[in-house]
Amino acid sequence: MDVYITSTGHFLPGDPVENDQIEEVLGYVGGKPSRLKRRILEANGIQTRHYAIDKHHRTTISNSEMASRAGQDCLDQSFLAKQQISMLSCATSQGDVVLPGFGSMVQADLDLEDIELQTSHGICSSSMMALKAAFTNLKTGEHDNALVIASELTSRLFKASRYEAAGVDKRLDFNAEFLRFMLSDGAGATLLETRPRGTCFRIDWIRGFSHADSFPVCMSVGLTQDKKENRTWQDYQTYAEAEAEGALLIRQDVRLLENIVKLGVDGFLRLVDQGLVTADQIDHLLCHYSSHYFRGKIFDMLVKSGTAVPDEKWYSNLAARGNTGCASIMIMLDEFRRTQSYKTGDVVFCMVPESGRFNTVYMKLTVAEE
Amino acid sequence: MKKEDNVLTEQGQQCLQNLLRIWFDFERRLGKVPIIRRLEQGNFSIEDYQKLIRNLRQQVIEGSRWISRCASSFDRDYADVRSVVIGHARDEHRDYEMLEQDYVAAGGDLADIQKADRNPGSEALHAFLMYRASLPNPIDLIGAMWIIEGLGQKMASDWAKQVDKITDGDGRYTQFMRYHGENDDEHLEKLYQLIDRVCKNEIQLKSITRTATVVARLYAMQLDEIDNEQET
Repeated sequence: MDVYITSTGHFLPGDPVENDQIEEVLGYVGGKPSRLKRRILEANGIQTRHYAIDKHHRTTISNSEMASRAGQDCLDQSFLAKQQISMLSCATSQGDVVLPGFGSMVQADLDLEDIELQTSHGICSSSMMALKAAFTNLKTGEHDNALVIASELTSRLFKASRYEAAGVDKRLDFNAEFLRFMLSDGAGATLLETRPRGTCFRIDWIRGFSHADSFPVCMSVGLTQDKKENRTWQDYQTYAEAEAEGALLIRQDVRLLENIVKLGVDGFLRLVDQGLVTADQIDHLLCHYSSHYFRGKIFDMLVKSGTAVPDEKWYSNLAARGNTGCASIMIMLDEFRRTQSYKTGDVVFCMVPESGRFNTVYMKLTVAEE
Repeated sequence: MKKEDNVLTEQGQQCLQNLLRIWFDFERRLGKVPIIRRLEQGNFSIEDYQKLIRNLRQQVIEGSRWISRCASSFDRDYADVRSVVIGHARDEHRDYEMLEQDYVAAGGDLADIQKADRNPGSEALHAFLMYRASLPNPIDLIGAMWIIEGLGQKMASDWAKQVDKITDGDGRYTQFMRYHGENDDEHLEKLYQLIDRVCKNEIQLKSITRTATVVARLYAMQLDEIDNEQET
């Protein structure tokens, strides 16, 4: 049975925030502007993004509500009424509450009746896991349709007060500050059905390769700077103590980031080897990282080995919409669907490399006609 | 992408794809080797570093031997390849002296590193390389060079900095590792040319791939054995 993406939607909170306004919203740590900001922004190439908090650090819309708005946007463009939806598959890095699962909160916000529920937890790749769970459910005939929603509200982690509470305002390290100028808020949704509708995308396959067994943690919340895994945020006597120790800060081990590129290439070569795709089949490449990030020695080798996808085939909206973690690929696919030109038979290849502990997920879509 | 960037033939491209995957697999294996895991995680002592280079020295010394042997096993049909390999052997045959200087600079005793024996992994790696190098026209050893050259780059770009960072070093005792980052692009270019030269059919592709795989496994074993070293 074939499975199609027949609709998409998105929600981005508030007005776009320019690079020079970031700290007006997130706050100046220790009252001073960041010294690393320019360098980090130059590296990620992001120009504008959205935040679900205002400059007084009040949350303007919750994570589950953003998810719900994106889901509604997706349904509004679809051929299905809300009561026809039979499965909801959600992803986020961090819901508004620790428990229950994010999907339950989104279901309530969206007011969906009697659905089968799935929640994926992780970082950037969790949306692809949610998508795959829905895809396989439809493949096996369990359901005729599934609404998949990914949403992130990370800005709450970036408030200046968080860093000050951890006492790092005077010695804020690169690893703790890196993601502050990288991540922002938003939600994206896709609707999967077992029949095509108009011009839509057939999902040919979704495949992930996770390498947590071979690498240390690269992106985390819940560990202190030294990343001793035997002491996490829940192992302190009080949460206040954990916060003071910096165990609640979001961190990226920048040194390990290069592995993202290697593993991205490795996974791609596996797929080529398995006959699932070739570089010259790909008409549009949607990647959670910008193409310039992949520049370097490994990429040169990919070019040399004849498996690189030329620049003009890459599509991304990260620079304008921000890096919204697991929601990014959904927001990207939504804008691609609505604004780009493609024709029946075109191959749209999606790739989400996650640095958390190194999971890369790929998806091959083919443009189909009803 | 310019056309001339695609220097490799189709067979050469397939070979490079295979070698890339073998390399990535090797890197993941390295991530599981206890002493390398400690290095990555930051709980790595100066004694660990001494132990690491004490164990590397044997392989570096033997390295120049198998490369020389390899050169002599190429007949007249591969005279051009032999020239490249001879150059390689000449460049590296005294590298171990740098390693000894690093060992002393890191607080080790020269006599200790000089009398250190090959560990079981080094024995296996050396035996395999000498065996392959002794066969006529051992073109598959380009697979071995790929792994060993790649590791040199990794040491230079990654390990040297990490060693200095966590042992409070100033670069004085990581000279050997750092030195391998020099002329990086030139080495790669040579390697691409060699791939095109020696990988022209399926049999050659298979033997290069196989040797690269075996060398990667045995190299990882050599590093794995470091923590089994008997105190001298």
